[in-house]
Amino acid sequence: MSTPVMDKTRRLEVNKAGSKMISDYWDGVFNARERGDQVVWYNGQALNPIFQAAGLVWCHGEAFSARLAAQHLEVPAQQAGEEYGYLGELCSYSRTHLGCAVLTQKSRQGEATGIVGMPEQEQLASKLPAPDFFVNAYSGCSTGQQWDDISFRVFGKELPMFNVSLPFLWGNKPDSGYLVGEEWEQTSLHVEDQLYKLIDFIEHQTGRPFDWDALRQNMAYIKRASELRREAMALCALTPAPATFWDWISSIAHINFLPASQELVDFFAAVKAEVERRVAEGISGVQNERYRLYFDGIMNWNKLGWLAKKFAAHDVAVIAGRYTHHAFWQEPHMIDPENPIPGMAKHYLLCPTNHGTKTIQNLVLGDCEKYGVDGIVFHSTRTCRAFTNPQQLVAKAAQRDLGIPSIFFEGDVADASFYKDEILESRLVAMLEGIDSRRSRDVTG
Amino acid sequence: MSETLAAALAPLAEVAEDPDAYVVRWKERTGGKVVGAFPMSFPGEIAHAAGALPVVIQENREPDTHGRNLLAEFYCGYTRNIADSAAKGNLDIYDGFFLADHCIQLLGAVDVVRFESPEKPMYFGHLPTSLGDSWTPEDARKMMRSFVDEMGEFAGAPVTPEALAHSIAVFNENRRLLREIFEARRSGNAQFTAEQMQVLVKSSMVMDKAEHTRLLRRVIAEAAEVPRDDRVRLYLSGHFSHAPKPELLRAIEDCGALVVDDDLFTGMRYISTDVPEDVDAVDALRDWYLQRDVNLPCATLVQHEADWEDYLLNSIDRSGAQGVIVLLVKFCEPHMLYYPELRKALDERGVPHLLIETEHEGVPEENVRTRVEALVERIRRNQLVRS
Repeated sequence: MSTPVMDKTRRLEVNKAGSKMISDYWDGVFNARERGDQVVWYNGQALNPIFQAAGLVWCHGEAFSARLAAQHLEVPAQQAGEEYGYLGELCSYSRTHLGCAVLTQKSRQGEATGIVGMPEQEQLASKLPAPDFFVNAYSGCSTGQQWDDISFRVFGKELPMFNVSLPFLWGNKPDSGYLVGEEWEQTSLHVEDQLYKLIDFIEHQTGRPFDWDALRQNMAYIKRASELRREAMALCALTPAPATFWDWISSIAHINFLPASQELVDFFAAVKAEVERRVAEGISGVQNERYRLYFDGIMNWNKLGWLAKKFAAHDVAVIAGRYTHHAFWQEPHMIDPENPIPGMAKHYLLCPTNHGTKTIQNLVLGDCEKYGVDGIVFHSTRTCRAFTNPQQLVAKAAQRDLGIPSIFFEGDVADASFYKDEILESRLVAMLEGIDSRRSRDVTG
Repeated sequence: MSETLAAALAPLAEVAEDPDAYVVRWKERTGGKVVGAFPMSFPGEIAHAAGALPVVIQENREPDTHGRNLLAEFYCGYTRNIADSAAKGNLDIYDGFFLADHCIQLLGAVDVVRFESPEKPMYFGHLPTSLGDSWTPEDARKMMRSFVDEMGEFAGAPVTPEALAHSIAVFNENRRLLREIFEARRSGNAQFTAEQMQVLVKSSMVMDKAEHTRLLRRVIAEAAEVPRDDRVRLYLSGHFSHAPKPELLRAIEDCGALVVDDDLFTGMRYISTDVPEDVDAVDALRDWYLQRDVNLPCATLVQHEADWEDYLLNSIDRSGAQGVIVLLVKFCEPHMLYYPELRKALDERGVPHLLIETEHEGVPEENVRTRVEALVERIRRNQLVRS
């Protein structure tokens, strides 16, 4: 595998403090049983403010799979999953997490795993405390709900589960659109109703009345954190960009599932302050920014640092992406801390895989114009059909409507074996040469 | 097989072989509208009640070409073929499209259809997929109501309760006749090959139901009781959304096996459940949707009380199957998730089984034969040991 020749990235310094916040959170999850806390496993949307208000410890399935992959510790879980019977083409988030479930279940039963050679890694993969109950809130992708149903079966069909139904925004009515139209309004009300029922379910599971004041406080923190995040992101439309897509990837955990708190607000205030400082001092997110690209695809967590360096090595600032910019409380104006459920319901529908292609196309092309990008890189995410569904059509629209070229490269969210570095390298170089060529034509023409 | 039975089967086989040709002929003959329905849960009764022809869109036999740059390669053969058909204009024979399933790959493929044919009506109603919740029946009823209303808009006139009740009866009759044949096969009648059983169901997914029923009655009238012989009895499980290739079924039975039952979509799954005729039609369609997962559990739906593995083991007992071939459409995530549960149950019961993944682009027949022969041999050896 070829390697980037030198590190031209200038990642935000605040990411280091952010990493510690993530580690502390997971340590808290691993130690939940010692504290006597109840544990909920959940997938999909960011229900954590509700769990936090209910005094629960929460484990987000995709997040734990992503964390294992980012630390290159996913293999034992995936091997356990494979041994159990999951095929390699299955969503690697679910495959990894179900492998963890198998290991957790075996660990609970005091059995040997049957997999040898990596005891330390295995220990981490099996470190999740077994859940007291499950909550599923998957939008967009049908796999999430089935994945939780199988988790229920792996744990012996004995744990309670609540499914929040999040309908897909097909967008076919004449008035349909992003945040508008009858479909949007009616579906939002439907999800609100589901969330109230979820809270009833949680009250039953915990045996305690739900703390609505705590939820209001949590959503006030999240609203402020999100505003700061969005303001900092908007500054990256400047040239050169003071931070990149990879910085926003580094803070996804924070906005997606870390506890709502003043510390969270302070973290994003620090992010924004560092971005502002860079703007003032003329510091760019990559050295010598010559190209600006958009990243469409769910993150390849095995390759986070690798990809950041690779693009920077080619003087590419990856400015924004569908995954970072169209998820995770991205419309804070819709959050009303005094009446939090409606804004939460709306956000849960706004997963960037929960729209028909027409809406996604509008969002992505709108970003391309806003951030002045030269091209789009599509991460053709092998086991994530939810994210790859519209990519080919969006690429065509970008070329047709904006004259923006695209490339596709292969990889996966949590399975390193699908990444082909040479393919990305050769396609990226070809696209950048094409951009150079177009620029020179524009100058001479 | 007698010549008269072969003659009775021939028109159904012709439709199964070339569904598009039937659709074109039907339109020429009736001047009616054709609804392209995507698997697996859209109730065709609603389109029928509107005077349209509901057709479950079938995977075709053409190699994928034009559509290959519209959907990534790691989609199931059916969805990639839908994208290809849309790109080639093969779906122009349909006047509108209805979709009831939330399968993420299917949504991607149908979005390609919408992209290629933006002028065509295209309706997606998201039926609830978590079936055990107290609010599910009402949510499902609302969605069925919206299907009826949308169909009225598509047809240009409201769908009346009377028309819906009539269509339900017509569809039930067709399903009942098909189930009779399935029950006969399960009980020991070896009259039809697996390939012929597929013809019966696939043609039903395409044809006008009354016409299909007439032809089906002829087939039943000509059929004779053929007792099972000593071929190894196999059960086919899985394969959602579209039909396994006929040559695959042929290869399996060529290895000295006889298929005695299945839970395939183009098989028992499609005909498992009738729509109640003694309640309001919309409520009845809701009940049909909820009851299907009870009658034949589906990996695409979540209902903790319904276990596919239990159904499979019971079906094996009823049919006397000696082994199971799991036909898994490559990249089908619900099936990939559920497969280990099936495998565990079969292993615990000591039922020999074989997993075969299928794709759109042909069948590796010799590879299949080798593996099926090994399964058949293993079953025969077990028989000898037991005897």
